[in-house]
Amino acid sequence: MVRLITHNLLACHAKGCTTNNFPLEFKDVQVVLRESEFNPEFLRGFMPKIEWPALLGAARELGDTSLPDQLPEMLDDDFLKALHHVLLEIHVEEGIMICPNCQHNYPILNGIPNMLLAEHEIA
Amino acid sequence: MAPAVTATHVPESEPAAEYEDAHVHQVYDHIAGHFASTRYKPWPIIAAFLAGLRDGWIGLDAGTGNGKYLPLPLDRPGHLWTIGLDRSRNLLEIARTAGGSEREVVWGDVLGHAWRPQIFDYAFSIATIHHLATPERRKVAVKDVFVPWVLSDDKTKVFQRYYHMFADGELAALVTLAAEELGLTVGPPHAALNTRGMEIVQDGWERSNHYVELRLWQS
Repeated sequence: MVRLITHNLLACHAKGCTTNNFPLEFKDVQVVLRESEFNPEFLRGFMPKIEWPALLGAARELGDTSLPDQLPEMLDDDFLKALHHVLLEIHVEEGIMICPNCQHNYPILNGIPNMLLAEHEIA
Repeated sequence: MAPAVTATHVPESEPAAEYEDAHVHQVYDHIAGHFASTRYKPWPIIAAFLAGLRDGWIGLDAGTGNGKYLPLPLDRPGHLWTIGLDRSRNLLEIARTAGGSEREVVWGDVLGHAWRPQIFDYAFSIATIHHLATPERRKVAVKDVFVPWVLSDDKTKVFQRYYHMFADGELAALVTLAAEELGLTVGPPHAALNTRGMEIVQDGWERSNHYVELRLWQS
């Protein structure tokens, strides 16, 4: 699947593409929302790893404006629930992810991102 | 059943990547359904490893196959997230709902590294690097999984797919070489400041599987 948790981890890995290769930009996406179990323990532990501007940008691009501009210091339930929804309930089923640096296209088909490179494109 | 130890040698004239494509990737895509139905039981060493990890950690299963490790640990569902990577699209179609819930899976090669640097808290690779056809490619695969984890290798009862047969000690030697080439100090943590190292936590053989568990440290 490509939920935003995964999108926040993926970076372009084409040969020579090592800077400005994150976050990948969505294009022509189809999104499905599916509920999943709320796990505040996971969110608290995972939070330090989130690239916040990338998550915020991706969420807004997909039409979700529930997250604040800055990561709040107080992690109340309302915030954690919004974060849960953005990270784990928005599924990008179809579309393309494009590298902001080299413009390499990574297609998403049936919820599975294709991060394969041709042998000559591998660093 | 005895392992298929009869030699399959990669012809030197054939590029390793093309050899793997024909003898590994295409085979798995073809047999995905049957393969998945016969590989449902988690290896207890990996289950124990995952049970010991902290809430909030994220990890990579490099060569996830049918995704049977993605739902673990079963007593804390969703408290950690393991992302499944595999070269076989058809296996990923199965892995995406492993254990009856939706999983995060990515179609890619274990020789790629389509991730932000050092993002994973743990990583493991089971029954995967033996499909790589040269020592150099196996070493690169180990390096690519080099963030904290368990690495292992399983080599049982399979025919018609390319398998490298590991000798005793070979897997530990491979990860040691990969660590040294990455500039890591090999051994337990020591006091010198600003040193990064890799320690072998476990190195063993069980049920015809070689495995090695590693820990990354920084002082």
